[in-house]
Amino acid sequence: MSKIVVLGAGIAGHVAASHLRRKLSKEHEVVVVSPNGNYQWVPSNIWVGIGRMKPKDILFPLAPLYAKKHIDYKQAKAVSFHPEGDSKEIKPYILAEYVTGDEKGTREKVTYDYLINATGPKLNFEATEGLSPGKNKTHSVCTYTHAQEAWIALEGLIKQMKAGKKTKILIGTGHAKSTCQGAAFEYILNVEQELRKHKVRDMAKITWISNEYNLGDFGMDGMLMSYGSNIMKSNEMVEMIFEDRGIQWILEAGVSKVEDGVVHYETLDGEYKKKKYDFAMLIPSFSGHGFKAYDKEGGDITDKLFRGFMIVDADYTPKPYEEWSVQDWPETYQNPSYANIFAPGIAFAPPHSISKPRKSKNGTDITPAPPRTGMPSGITAKLVADNIIGMIKHSNNELHHKGSMGNMGAACIASAGFGTTTGSGVSITTYPIVPDYNKYPDTQGRKLGKTFGTIGLAGHWLKLALHYAFIYKAKMKPFWWLIPE
Amino acid sequence: MTRRISKYKRFTMMNPIIQFFKFIYLSIKVLIVVAGGHGGTRNV
Repeated sequence: MSKIVVLGAGIAGHVAASHLRRKLSKEHEVVVVSPNGNYQWVPSNIWVGIGRMKPKDILFPLAPLYAKKHIDYKQAKAVSFHPEGDSKEIKPYILAEYVTGDEKGTREKVTYDYLINATGPKLNFEATEGLSPGKNKTHSVCTYTHAQEAWIALEGLIKQMKAGKKTKILIGTGHAKSTCQGAAFEYILNVEQELRKHKVRDMAKITWISNEYNLGDFGMDGMLMSYGSNIMKSNEMVEMIFEDRGIQWILEAGVSKVEDGVVHYETLDGEYKKKKYDFAMLIPSFSGHGFKAYDKEGGDITDKLFRGFMIVDADYTPKPYEEWSVQDWPETYQNPSYANIFAPGIAFAPPHSISKPRKSKNGTDITPAPPRTGMPSGITAKLVADNIIGMIKHSNNELHHKGSMGNMGAACIASAGFGTTTGSGVSITTYPIVPDYNKYPDTQGRKLGKTFGTIGLAGHWLKLALHYAFIYKAKMKPFWWLIPE
Repeated sequence: MTRRISKYKRFTMMNPIIQFFKFIYLSIKVLIVVAGGHGGTRNV
């Protein structure tokens, strides 16, 4: 009998737990430890942020589902890692602290045979002075509560615009090393469309602010893509959309400080600038959770498990951009020091960024961090679950399932406006996620055909269809496993 | 110079009948890219 502990119940953690439970017999124990009581379909947060969906539409409580599916669930947060146990506990364990109910504050040693760290990112608002959801007129759509607060503020602003107030809206990244530009891109287009629907578009000046070097970088160094019968760069496509929507843009901007209605940023030229706004949605930087790890004797071994995020089978050797390769990226998401610990999704430490790193004249790193959200999270979580199942069933440590982001496709179905007949979406697929310049030297590291983009109403329908399909899947309803990650 | 979305292109982008077929095409294409498999990069 084996006990698998999954930390986190986001996309990666929930995918891993559900596949483990489906494929392993009941004699094996699957335990989910997560401080969040709800599962949320994060990609639909942007629709909560424009008032087109309520939080209840994108979430469901985990406890009843896990009870029904025989998954042990502890609503607790991980405190520290003990991969060798300690003087009293011979098995490896996680020290977890309950966050709700009668047990709130109680700590428990949760032992395991296999550990999946799917804790995702810490939303590191503190890294940017003054950046905090709901303060200084800045908002976030990273969680459903943030998104709902953003909508309340935006709704208030729309009322002011209807009363004749001219406004400035700023949407983008709130740190020099933020990732998830895709979410901000979706939000700015949705906000723009909502203003048109409310007939106040002419009352707002909308500006995109980003740490990208080019529009459409998305933390993936941009892409060359098929667009209908043409071949187009992603920056050309995004520029075309922004021009069409009357959205202005500020690039190469490392936001360093936020005051009430004023954002301070540094550019690659080394200039320090300010931008005023009445409403802002800025994506924070993501960081690890700052977990500590200890060996059997209680010695600090944090650096064996973490470098911000969790260390996995990537090549972390520092090297210049010109020497980066897809082989640097992990394939199995297994920690090299402890073969029974894995970190899929955002929880793994990337070897480096995907976009070319750039420093300002003052030495500030202004480079998008690599995205690992959504689809890659699900795919890597499933392959980790499959490898653990293989290890249990064959009683060995061989890993047969591999999935490097350098040999994996991803789809980004970005909403560009909500509405059954008036909605729009920007559908982009990329293969591979990390460009392979050796394999595809003439097409900027990507395979054309599998890397394509299109804009239109179908994209909105597809995003909506994915919303319902993935919530169905997450609820583990009949044949859920037929829906790919 | 920035490309612009032409009137004809906008019509095709928002026409529900054209977009219905585009939806079918897109769903299949996305499925092929995403469910088309993945693997390692070090031993290929």
